[in-house]
Amino acid sequence: MGKGGNSHEEEEENMAAWLVGLNTLKIQPFKLPPLGPHDVRVRMKAVGICGSDVHYLKTLRCADFVVKEPMVIGHECAGIIEEVGSEVKNLVPGDRVALEPGISCWRCDLCKDGRYNLCPEMKFFATPPVHGSLAHQVVHPADLCFKLPDNVSLEEGAMCEPLSVGVHACRRAKVGPETNVLVMGAGPIGLVTMLAARAFGAPRIVIVDVDDNRLSVAKNLGADGIIKVSTNIQDVPEEVERICKEMEARVDVCFDCAGFNKTMTTALSATRAGGKVCLVGMGHNEMTVPLTPAAAREVDVIGIFRYRNTWPLCIEFIRSGKIDVKPLITHRFGFSQKEVEEAFETSAGGGSAIKYNSKDEEVDLI
Amino acid sequence: MAEVSEITGGETNLAAWLLGIQTIKIQPYHLPPLGPHDVKVRIKALGICGSDVHHFKTMRCANFIVKKPMVLGHECAGIIEEVGSQVKSLQVGDRVALEPGVSCQRCSLCRDGRYNLCREMKFSGSPPNNGSLANKVVHPANLCFKLPDNVSLEEGAMCEPLSVGIHACRRAEIGPDTNVLIIGAGPIGLVTLLAARAFGAPRIVIVDVDDCRLSMAKELGADEIVQVSTNIKDVGEEVVKIQNAMGSRIDVSFDCVGFNKTMSTALSATGVGGKVCLIGLARTELTVPLTSAAVREIDVVGIFRYRNTWPLCIELLSTGKIDVKPLITHRFQFSQKDIEDAFQTSAGGGNAIKVMFNL
Repeated sequence: MGKGGNSHEEEEENMAAWLVGLNTLKIQPFKLPPLGPHDVRVRMKAVGICGSDVHYLKTLRCADFVVKEPMVIGHECAGIIEEVGSEVKNLVPGDRVALEPGISCWRCDLCKDGRYNLCPEMKFFATPPVHGSLAHQVVHPADLCFKLPDNVSLEEGAMCEPLSVGVHACRRAKVGPETNVLVMGAGPIGLVTMLAARAFGAPRIVIVDVDDNRLSVAKNLGADGIIKVSTNIQDVPEEVERICKEMEARVDVCFDCAGFNKTMTTALSATRAGGKVCLVGMGHNEMTVPLTPAAAREVDVIGIFRYRNTWPLCIEFIRSGKIDVKPLITHRFGFSQKEVEEAFETSAGGGSAIKYNSKDEEVDLI
Repeated sequence: MAEVSEITGGETNLAAWLLGIQTIKIQPYHLPPLGPHDVKVRIKALGICGSDVHHFKTMRCANFIVKKPMVLGHECAGIIEEVGSQVKSLQVGDRVALEPGVSCQRCSLCRDGRYNLCREMKFSGSPPNNGSLANKVVHPANLCFKLPDNVSLEEGAMCEPLSVGIHACRRAEIGPDTNVLIIGAGPIGLVTLLAARAFGAPRIVIVDVDDCRLSMAKELGADEIVQVSTNIKDVGEEVVKIQNAMGSRIDVSFDCVGFNKTMSTALSATGVGGKVCLIGLARTELTVPLTSAAVREIDVVGIFRYRNTWPLCIELLSTGKIDVKPLITHRFQFSQKDIEDAFQTSAGGGNAIKVMFNL
């Protein structure tokens, strides 16, 4: 038996947002697994929607992952501890925590090497067949729950997940006080990457996008330069010139947060000899890009998959005010059938919508 | 052969000039004056590179265009004949291997040690800079490296291609933990094989379309050889064969060719979190499964020539850790006919790996 627990006479039925078919979400009961000695039970308070969640809704798949049976959606989350397993020492009921979604095996060579994000046995919230966390409660390993300081809200806690992508990318690309950074794409990932790059000390950051509104958001978030670009690959040389002018210096690191031929081509062409291009966005699988001339200038291409060991740093960045993620949350919804459907539609619409937090409403059952 | 000028009694310096497509002529080559930090070197051994052949066949190589007659060649070694007034480390009679590229040593890349990427690089045999297939050349002393007695001048000339393999192994961080796949068993694939072994790679698999080249690779110490096709549809099946041949994770792949097929194979065969090193500069645009590699955190590492590799090459040759001699498959003299034959032989590929001039 764990410590703490439900004080109600009747057990509350746990509900979750299930992906039951193409474009079909249903709030239905979600029976939780038993609480293991190293687990905690968390009442979800804030859950953000990710592009991958939308992709699963619209297509029932994402890259090689296919939804074959109903699955609870959502993975960017934070909540309050309700119950802790018998061996859990560092958390108590009532603690406010942000959750790192992915449970790796901790046995394989990659895990032992610290690169656990690449674990082949990874069980990740809302990546089939593993259930997600858009629910009243979830059960999760205690060591993947990170306590939030008093001045960090639960919504900011949920934002640690997308922010982690930016932080991990900045680490792999070795962003620092000497690296001028170019970000391709001013969507949620481009923006968290920009925020992370600034926190890592990047002296100058230029961000590009096709969308004016997203570029304004980026400017308000502190981009040194914003450039509107087209979707036409013929425009690359001219855009590269504009980018270099706007940077006023050479591009040391470029993050492609879109992942298309055009964005990668721009990235490879705009980055200086000896620089790095970080491919964060997952647009198309096969890409046609000027890889050889880039290699001949020793521009390296760095791959990014999710993140590892980023929650403590994200929480510290937010706590200290080095990063403010609040402006990224543009829409808020409650946890009801109607609102969940609306939330996903808004997120899928893109445009001015950046992050959508589904705030779980507490329902009193009598 | 040097011609003795009747008027002054001095020797007329001759060189192999590229005059037009597939047109090389031995003609006089007037050397620049010897600067205080320069040396004059009598060239004794010079190897032909794929880029020399490319210049020979097309009068260009990537963005480098041959607009006026140019002396060919850059893989060389020779004997010091004269030293500039400030040269202290070398003397007349010293046997040296030459590093071809003169960088500016002022720009931020040079000051950062990445001088191979210098935009003002003057590289022998890359237009508009004259190369070194000549009786003599003038070269900065600090780019001439003394050869120990047990390293021949031919081996000295081999330091240049070997440097590409060494630089690639450094950038890819080859060591006792890294299983290596090499795509392409031509001269670059083979020097990369030798370098990877010298850096401690425990297991090396090499692939090629050509049987003969694969046999040479096996003799040079490859653990496994796999013959592959030129058909991109075969990638899936070949990746399985390659992974089976390795028997364990492929940590680093070197694409020493640079086609869609070879890069696709490299990106697919390399294990999660590994590196693909793109050395072969065959194409401009490549169509490859880049995203599926990126989501496995496979990094693509670029290679352009080399930097600070001569001392290590010479050390590896001197101690016997690397034996480049088997790579020299054909030898020619410095005559009009021999030069033409040499370039045709090199251009023919196949069992011709390194074609070497002895002057």
